[in-house]
Amino acid sequence: MSEIINKIKIVRWQHVMFIMLMALIVVGADSCKSSGKLSKKERKAQIESAKKQLEPIVNGTSTLSLEEQQRIVKGIISKNYNDPVLNSMIEDAQAKLKIAFAEQEKVKAQKVDVARAALYDMLLNKDNRSADELERDLAAIKSQNLKDSQIDDLVSRVEKKIKEMRASGGNGANLPVKTQLENAFAAIASSAKSGNLPQADNTIQKTLQFFSSEDVPVLIIISREGSMVDYDKPTTIKRYLNFLRDTKASKNDIDAIMTDANGKIKGLDLIKK
Amino acid sequence: MNKILSVIIMVSFFAVANKGAAQDNLSPQRKQAIDSLALEKVRDLSKYISIIGDKATPWSDAQRVIERATELFMESSEIGVSSIGKQDVNYYKVREYFDRLIQLNYDKVTIDWYKIQYVSDLVRQPDGTYVGVITIYQRFQGFSKEKGLVYEDTTKKDITVYVKRKETQIGGRLISFWDVMLGDIRVKETSK
Repeated sequence: MSEIINKIKIVRWQHVMFIMLMALIVVGADSCKSSGKLSKKERKAQIESAKKQLEPIVNGTSTLSLEEQQRIVKGIISKNYNDPVLNSMIEDAQAKLKIAFAEQEKVKAQKVDVARAALYDMLLNKDNRSADELERDLAAIKSQNLKDSQIDDLVSRVEKKIKEMRASGGNGANLPVKTQLENAFAAIASSAKSGNLPQADNTIQKTLQFFSSEDVPVLIIISREGSMVDYDKPTTIKRYLNFLRDTKASKNDIDAIMTDANGKIKGLDLIKK
Repeated sequence: MNKILSVIIMVSFFAVANKGAAQDNLSPQRKQAIDSLALEKVRDLSKYISIIGDKATPWSDAQRVIERATELFMESSEIGVSSIGKQDVNYYKVREYFDRLIQLNYDKVTIDWYKIQYVSDLVRQPDGTYVGVITIYQRFQGFSKEKGLVYEDTTKKDITVYVKRKETQIGGRLISFWDVMLGDIRVKETSK
């Protein structure tokens, strides 16, 4: 123990203090490097790295998402390297991203259009598909995650329809609108022919509920040759349904149904049988 | 003189060319569709007349059907009325004819039209309107509660039909349609 104490006494404390001071200077200089100005060499290296990052964005070969690419460009801009070549690449990258985002929006709009049409078809169920089939198609549309309020609304309505189809177990209400309308037309004519006018009137009132108003235009095609279409004088759905009642015959098929945003029929094209 | 002759020839040429361009070149299929459409309108009228004449038809229904039936006719058209034992044929404006029909003094009335056919095909006129004549036979029967059938006759009538191409805008679509209008209904003969 006394030996150790003697050795401590022998140490030259001036030397120890000098070594510690030097060490502090070195450590201090290192920490200055990370928070202060870059050396020319380091700045050059970082600019080169930024260029390498921008290159695939400018060339359009980046595998990153557009949002990630935009984040990279913004990150480089924030560094403010002020290098002419890099600045030019930044401008090119920004232009490229602008076009890419516009294209992405366009594609999304097209997808929304296709989905909207498909959802309306599902609501009308013209092809008389089962609840399971509708649900499968609906899942495909939902998986696109289109983030569109109108699509979300239509999806809810189709989900409700599927639920109702399953609840009712498949009665006439689940038939496609086209079939329901043609059945209603035949029923009105048939009821009137058998003298059951209250029944005909009842069917008329129920059928009108498919339409956005009693004045929805009804066009009747009497001849179609290529693009040349000849029509009878246009009428309205209320008048047409009464016409079926009065003439006691249904002589036209449904050619086309136009619906509004609420799924109600806003236009009906018929064609002579 | 030569100049005048040239002008006359040119004017004549353009007049003929314009007339040719204005002609509707309807294919046989389209023409047949229009012929059928006009016949169909006459059949519709026969059903309307049957409903209007039927004493069982509620007043409101009869009035609605009179409106539809009147719309089938051109303005100022007349309908002839005859009866056995009377040589004269009375002609009434369409609306007046229907108002009289609904008030006939029978307890029950049946009116049937049959043998509805063209006697004169639709022919295109210079103004583009197609005009033809359709003939019909009308069987009329009037009943009373006490005596049953008290009057009946069969009348042959000729109906002039006018078909004209028109255009209208519907929901942003330009629609070309054929407007069929009925003209006078003339009594040709009446028998028991």
